[in-house]
Amino acid sequence: MLQPGLQIKDLRCRVAGNEILKGIDLTVEPRRVHALMGPNGSGKSTLAFSLTGHPQYDVTGRVELDGQDLLALPPDKRARAGLFLSFQYPAAIPGVKVANFLHAARQAERPGDLPPAKFRALLLEKMEQLGIDPSFMGRYLNDGFSGGEKKRLEMLQLAVLAPKYAILDETDSGLDIDALKAVGSSIAALRASDEGVNTGFLIITHYPRILQYVIPDVVHVMIDGRIVKTGGVDLAHRIEREGYDELRARAIA
Amino acid sequence: MPDTLTAPREELYDKVSSLERPPLDRSARTAALERFFSLRSGREKPGRFWRVDFETIAPSADAIGPASGSVRVENAGDGVLACDLATAAREYPELFARAFGTTRIAKTKFGALAAAFASVGAFIYVRADRAAHEPIVIRADAAAGAAIFPWNVVLAERGASATIIERITGEGDAFVCGAAEIVTEENANVTYAVLQYAGEGARVITSRAARPGRDAAVSWACAELGGRLAAGDLLVEFDHPGARADVTTIFFPRSSQHVDVVSTVEHRAGKATSETIVKSAASERGQARFLGNIRIAPHAQGSDARLRDDALLLSPSAHVDSVPALEIGANDVKAYHGATVGAIDADQIFYMESRGIERSAAEGMIALGFFEPAIERFPTASLRDEIRDTLARKLS
Repeated sequence: MLQPGLQIKDLRCRVAGNEILKGIDLTVEPRRVHALMGPNGSGKSTLAFSLTGHPQYDVTGRVELDGQDLLALPPDKRARAGLFLSFQYPAAIPGVKVANFLHAARQAERPGDLPPAKFRALLLEKMEQLGIDPSFMGRYLNDGFSGGEKKRLEMLQLAVLAPKYAILDETDSGLDIDALKAVGSSIAALRASDEGVNTGFLIITHYPRILQYVIPDVVHVMIDGRIVKTGGVDLAHRIEREGYDELRARAIA
Repeated sequence: MPDTLTAPREELYDKVSSLERPPLDRSARTAALERFFSLRSGREKPGRFWRVDFETIAPSADAIGPASGSVRVENAGDGVLACDLATAAREYPELFARAFGTTRIAKTKFGALAAAFASVGAFIYVRADRAAHEPIVIRADAAAGAAIFPWNVVLAERGASATIIERITGEGDAFVCGAAEIVTEENANVTYAVLQYAGEGARVITSRAARPGRDAAVSWACAELGGRLAAGDLLVEFDHPGARADVTTIFFPRSSQHVDVVSTVEHRAGKATSETIVKSAASERGQARFLGNIRIAPHAQGSDARLRDDALLLSPSAHVDSVPALEIGANDVKAYHGATVGAIDADQIFYMESRGIERSAAEGMIALGFFEPAIERFPTASLRDEIRDTLARKLS
């Protein structure tokens, strides 16, 4: 039976022989926002790469995207199934123009759904929403971009691809308050759009700051490769006040 | 199959002595052929994998003849004189002599061979302060089994500008040994692009040299896209200050193609700027070598020389040797060189895959993008698109 949701069951991951994820169970439902918090090195980004199919990660367990077995698929098919990752450190690809890349990605994920002129119009509209200068389109992908520009471009891709499930890996890190607001409003705009109304989010963050702009339905705390606590938005506030120390102490105990 | 000396020397001497026509007389041609046989190429075998021995390459005398091929010039407009070499030597001897044979091409092994048999070719002359608005197109075509020796000469007077696009094609096992010379006066601006599309059995060996005048700009942009063997020798000689040269080379050997490019920029006058950009890829058993020389003479203060050379290896059997060589004799100069040889970055591939793009398509986009800084330096949008399309076909 087809079960909507990004369902993660007993996900374990080894990188270069070390177990980084030690059994993750988590389900992101359509339309819901999950926040995944945790100190540095707890395995948050590893979870993101495990889900999207990073070639160097040795992953076991089960992940279903609306009933489809995700771990059996190569990274491009996972994306075409509707999974999106906003990279913490997106790769620079000199010589590949932003507009061409976005068009190739949209074509790959939704073949032939928009003629080039309409695609261009969509791109311009989303760029305006994000406060991105149209000259971005002619620049090489992430090449010479500032940290903030890279994050805005990730958000532009999120808006243009309107995935079923979006993982945002530390999209807030290194952003000033204006950029953070732009990220928040672009997520809100996506959720308000026809294409993105059902998108489920997994927002990975170190600090609760971004959660002022995107209010999570569920907050998880990951420490040492395990989810040690799940709660509502008040859990994020508690972490903001108290930090991770108490949760970490309990996880070790 | 290794290249071997396919013609006895006597046959080539007989052939050259029958060529009594401009631009060179019989004795000059014979002397050039002697230089060809006595000089070494300076192109040592870079390694075991390299299957070309430049010291033994020679055309077959039977392949040299009037039906071997042709050079045609298209698009020469107002203010531009474009004619074949023999006409230039006969009708405009003084103009022609200001450029033809004034570079050191004929003193090199294959430049001497090109001179010995030079018969087809174009002379392009742009008067002072005139601009050729449309690119001038030179087409050099070699018939199957034939050998041609195209020699093109460009003379741009003070403030003149021109863009020249040379297209080289050769069928079957054609042999092309060509040359191009650019001589400019002050403030002239000449761009010379080469698209070499010879067939997979052809050998194409070319020598090109430019002597920009004071404050002049010269751009060589060469795409070596065909041939069983493509060997190029690119030279810029700065004897006047304030000049600028862009040297751009693209090559992409695959199957068992060999490419060997030597670029040399001689800063003999100060305050000249050169920027060399080489982007190459090799797939299957493709082999290539790039030797990038920058020489700055002791008195050439204020020189600015940059060389960027990047090679992409697309198969474990492909090989690219990259050898930048800087000789800097002056102390007040800017000189930079950087070279990389490697496979496509795994993080770049993963990033594109994570946007739904299939791995092979991602690799194609990344590889094509890799060439882009070099492609951008070619003249005209349609030519750049043509190069992109050709590279994309090689990548697929």
